[in-house]
Amino acid sequence: MDLVFALALNGIVWGLIIALIALGLSIIFGLLDIINIAHGDFFMVGTVLAWTVLQTTGNYWLAFLLVPIIGFGLGLLINHAVIQPIKNAAALSIVATFGLSIILQESVRATYGAAPNRLVAPIQETLLLFGIQYEVYRIFAAAIAIFAICVFFGFLHKTKLGTWMRAVRFDPEIATAMGIPAHRIYMVTFGIGFAMAALGGVVAAPITTVDFQGGIDILPFCFMAVIIGGLGNLEGTVAAAVLLAFVEGIITSFTDPTIARIGSLIFMSAVLIVRPHGIFVGATR
Amino acid sequence: MTMIELRDLNAHYGKVHVLQGVNLHVGHGESVALLGRNGVGKTTTLKAIMGLVRPTGGSVFFDGREISKLRPYQIPRAGVGYVPQGRGIFPMLSVEDNLFVGLSKRPPQDIIDYIFDRFPRLRERLKQSGGTLSGGEQQMLAIARCLVMQPKLIILDEPTEGIMPILVKEIRREIDAVRKTGVSILLVEQNIKTALSLCSRVYLMEKGLIAHEASSTDLEKDSDTLHRFLGVDV
Repeated sequence: MDLVFALALNGIVWGLIIALIALGLSIIFGLLDIINIAHGDFFMVGTVLAWTVLQTTGNYWLAFLLVPIIGFGLGLLINHAVIQPIKNAAALSIVATFGLSIILQESVRATYGAAPNRLVAPIQETLLLFGIQYEVYRIFAAAIAIFAICVFFGFLHKTKLGTWMRAVRFDPEIATAMGIPAHRIYMVTFGIGFAMAALGGVVAAPITTVDFQGGIDILPFCFMAVIIGGLGNLEGTVAAAVLLAFVEGIITSFTDPTIARIGSLIFMSAVLIVRPHGIFVGATR
Repeated sequence: MTMIELRDLNAHYGKVHVLQGVNLHVGHGESVALLGRNGVGKTTTLKAIMGLVRPTGGSVFFDGREISKLRPYQIPRAGVGYVPQGRGIFPMLSVEDNLFVGLSKRPPQDIIDYIFDRFPRLRERLKQSGGTLSGGEQQMLAIARCLVMQPKLIILDEPTEGIMPILVKEIRREIDAVRKTGVSILLVEQNIKTALSLCSRVYLMEKGLIAHEASSTDLEKDSDTLHRFLGVDV
């Protein structure tokens, strides 16, 4: 029973981290109509950068500040070089971001090597939680993910830039005719998407491995969260990510993770049959 | 003095040559209507002015400056207000967010007071989402959203389309009030009576070209021309 509880708790923590990453995927899809196959690699770059910050400075906490900023910058660069030239061509976006995914993975392999690295969590303590010793860092990771998600929604609903993002997302032509620089909004959105995935990487690095293929497993999970949550529904994406990871956590305690993932895929298929537009229909208002 | 001038404006949708050399002008403080049957290129002309359809030839001069080379988002900032067909309200944004969406900061208080004096219903519904307003209220919001940017010219694309008749009068009155403040107006309107009552001069479009120009008073009496270009009597 303790194992079930621990894995369920791990599922929730992991779900919140996935929610943070999937939100980036969702805003990029919602605003730019880009199906970003490289999004998992943005997470992977985040883990690698976090590892680099730790190796360079010896201070892991710095990574929480530096990596999202670097991720934002990389997002701006990639948007300019890869995304803008293929804007409004969803089919091309799959090919282009698939290519980008390979470039990012191979660049990391060429620079950091192929061997996976493990990071020691910056918080080593454990806590007695409902009869089990639970890592404090995982609770901290969940708190950081919740905080980042809240900041993101606050930004979206309470700032001018967030209002512009929502306006451009709804109707870029009218938004432009009102004086909103839509091309800059696209750029910033891609940057924010990368930064969120990179922050997810920093948060997750101590509880996963750091290697050039670290994003491969994340990507389908993020897509499942975005699809089950209802395409374009940001709150739905968060709820679906947590729900999926929680269910996978529970299933993993009875069987192996591959079966759990198959269970998630069956769950997604069932949702799409019953509710083709996802559980939480409609774009975020 | 000319507020806006279109010189030999051309535009294409793919291979379709929609605007085939449109020439028109609107003077300072003047109200001009652009009329024509469906599909002659009226909305495309307005979109070309706003940069939403890229002109493939010709130019647009606004207040002595060529705006057809500006980025589209710079055109409203240069002083060209646009009330699009179908109103273009963002339904998920609040009335307040819709109203100030084009501005990077809140406008001066006297502008806000002016807007709310003109459109008191908007003040009452400031926190409501734009999508919950009636068609007439959305049109008021679209006009108010345009006015907060203090434009020198307002382009209106069928402002009374789909509006309850009782509210059409109200919208007509508001446009007339804007006109009297000295703001230039370029109006596309299916309701000929509304267009002729609000504007002093009319351009009639046919097949992507300006085919006829007349004063409203002359056109009102010219049933042959109205029949030929619009298929209506006034």
